[in-house]
Amino acid sequence: MEIVVCVKPVPEAETRLRVATDGTRLDPEGVKFVLAGYDESAVEQALLLKEAVPGSKVHAIAFGPPPRAEEILRAAIALGCDQATWVDAGSKSSDDPIVAARALAAAIAPLPHDLVLCGKQAGDDEAGLVAAALGALLNLPDFGYVVDLRWDPARSRFTFHRATESGQEAWETAAPCVVGLQQAWNDPRTAKLPAILKSRKAPIAKTAAPAPPGPECSAPEKFELPVARTGAKMIEYKTPEEAAQKLVRILREEAKVFP
Amino acid sequence: MTGAILVVGEVHDGRLIGATLEAIGKARELAGDGGVVGFVAGSTVEPAAREFADRGVANVHWAKNAEFDDGAAGRFAPSVVSVAEATGADLILVGGTTLGRDLAGQIAIRWNAAAATGVTEVRRDGSGLHVRRPIFGGRATETRHLEGSRAVLALRPHAFPEASESRVDVLLEPAARIDPPAGWRESKRLGVETAPAGSGPGLTDASIIVSGGRGVRAPENFHLIEELAASLGAAVGASRAVTDAGWRPASYQVGQTGKTVSPQLYVAVGISGAIQHIVGMVSSRVIVAINSDASAPIFKVADYGIVGDLFQIVPALTSEIRKVRGL
Ligand SMILES: Cc1cc2nc3c(=O)[nH]c(=O)nc-3n(C[C@H](O)[C@H](O)[C@H](O)COP(=O)(O)OP(=O)(O)OC[C@H]3O[C@@H](n4cnc5c(N)ncnc54)[C@H](O)[C@@H]3O)c2cc1C
Ligand SMILES: Nc1ncnc2c1ncn2[C@@H]1O[C@H](COP(=O)(O)O)[C@@H](O)[C@H]1O
Repeated sequence: MEIVVCVKPVPEAETRLRVATDGTRLDPEGVKFVLAGYDESAVEQALLLKEAVPGSKVHAIAFGPPPRAEEILRAAIALGCDQATWVDAGSKSSDDPIVAARALAAAIAPLPHDLVLCGKQAGDDEAGLVAAALGALLNLPDFGYVVDLRWDPARSRFTFHRATESGQEAWETAAPCVVGLQQAWNDPRTAKLPAILKSRKAPIAKTAAPAPPGPECSAPEKFELPVARTGAKMIEYKTPEEAAQKLVRILREEAKVFP
Repeated sequence: MTGAILVVGEVHDGRLIGATLEAIGKARELAGDGGVVGFVAGSTVEPAAREFADRGVANVHWAKNAEFDDGAAGRFAPSVVSVAEATGADLILVGGTTLGRDLAGQIAIRWNAAAATGVTEVRRDGSGLHVRRPIFGGRATETRHLEGSRAVLALRPHAFPEASESRVDVLLEPAARIDPPAGWRESKRLGVETAPAGSGPGLTDASIIVSGGRGVRAPENFHLIEELAASLGAAVGASRAVTDAGWRPASYQVGQTGKTVSPQLYVAVGISGAIQHIVGMVSSRVIVAINSDASAPIFKVADYGIVGDLFQIVPALTSEIRKVRGL
């Protein structure tokens, strides 16, 4: 099985967010960009499928400016991906997920692909648009919010569940398809030192992103950090009943969260 | 942008869901001369179309096709686009659900439109659309300018009020019949498991959430959390300590590697407030923490705190809420 996994370089979870001087975006100064969140899970899922289906290959692909994209592709190779392609966003890079999807689709189309795996949403912009956009661009069925993705070799079908607002749905589909993964493994594998060293010299294919078809795009205007919460208003009480009464009164009258 | 606004209806148990009613409300507020157009897909579209009309939208287009009942956005996104073309719409609004987000990505490509999801504010002016949306798990907010002449927005559930009632007669129009891309023929929804009301999987759509952490100590105590949630009509969540230990399934997990939620009220019980948990719930409107340790970091992000033993506080709170709600 030929698996393509899309990975986006995003700031490390522990990053202290700061506003860039122009006020429109995150200040990237000193920020470490990593393979994180659902994309880490997507790589883990790709590798689990590769192990389950003999003869499979995993191709990691990232769209972004240098050197971030290259670094996370090396991380993906160190984890066990076989090949990597960097879609160069150039210096005037866009952070629009639809622009990313167009760039990724152009790079994926000529590659063999039975499965295109994405994260449910990227850890920074949390758009959750790319998997569906890839489905439309590659003319393949696409499924977001997927958990428990498996390949049934006897029937040549993927089976999986999708999380919805009211519960979950069971699905099956044939290859090729696009999947946005919501599953989070609590213990995705970590790369071993020899693999990390080897990944530094691994070849990474490079392609240029296509020009967008029109002006339809989105650009950041303002990046704001929440006004720091000043800490909780603590409820003083003598008995649990008094604590309960006080809290309920505050929630109804002050916070107005229930009638 | 002065064209019509198209609202795609999402139907559950034969009724439009809250997120659609919120989208209708926003569309009516934004609509200029172009007006608002509704869209519904599936085998039974009439009741949903009538609900559009009950909320002031008379012009409803439908794609009547049992194939669309499985809620796979990719199957009927081409039909949505054909209606947008036919009605001269330049803005499409959907509720930001599982279906809505998939639709937004599909429509952005098939209609060549700018797109944004998780939207909590919308402004429309001469230069186009400006939307605000939480990012980084609620640790920051961005405002984006959507350029060009077309846009599709998925609105964050609960960010906008539902459309007020305003009954009009409904005018039903069939959408052009467009077959889904071939690959969909091989895709099949095999079944639907509806989670019991107020349980974990409904998290992203809940307006109140009660979450339990390791402080609950054992799975057999988790009913305390569930009873408090039931008294509030809330969904139940958990920290990863709880889902890792297998006390509750992974679908309950809130946080960096679980769900991102933004309810009106989030009650964290016996949860310390690790950053990986915080990023999943910090954009909630009101946060309450109950914890026996006064120095627990959760109190830094909470609006109201009770320092105490959850085994005493939670039952007292449940019975107080039942009392005031007459349960
Ligand atoms: C990569 C990564 C991803 C992660 N993703 C997530 C995630 O998505 N979601 C998540 O939640 N965590 C996540 N974690 C784990 C996170 O770091 C914490 O370990 C976890 O949130 C702790 O859960 P807890 O607060 O329930 O447990 P603890 O930290 O053990 O806290 C238990 C709390 O209960 C209180 N308590 C104890 N007894 C009582 C009592 N009788 N009455 C009242 N209070 C009491 C204690 O004072 C304490 O504050 C992640 C970690 C990593 C490394
Ligand atoms: N620049 C990118 N490069 C590679 N993959 C991406 C990029 N942007 C988004 N993706 C993939 O699409 C998923 C969803 O991203 P988004 O729609 O931006 O929330 C991510 O988890 C990635 O798998």
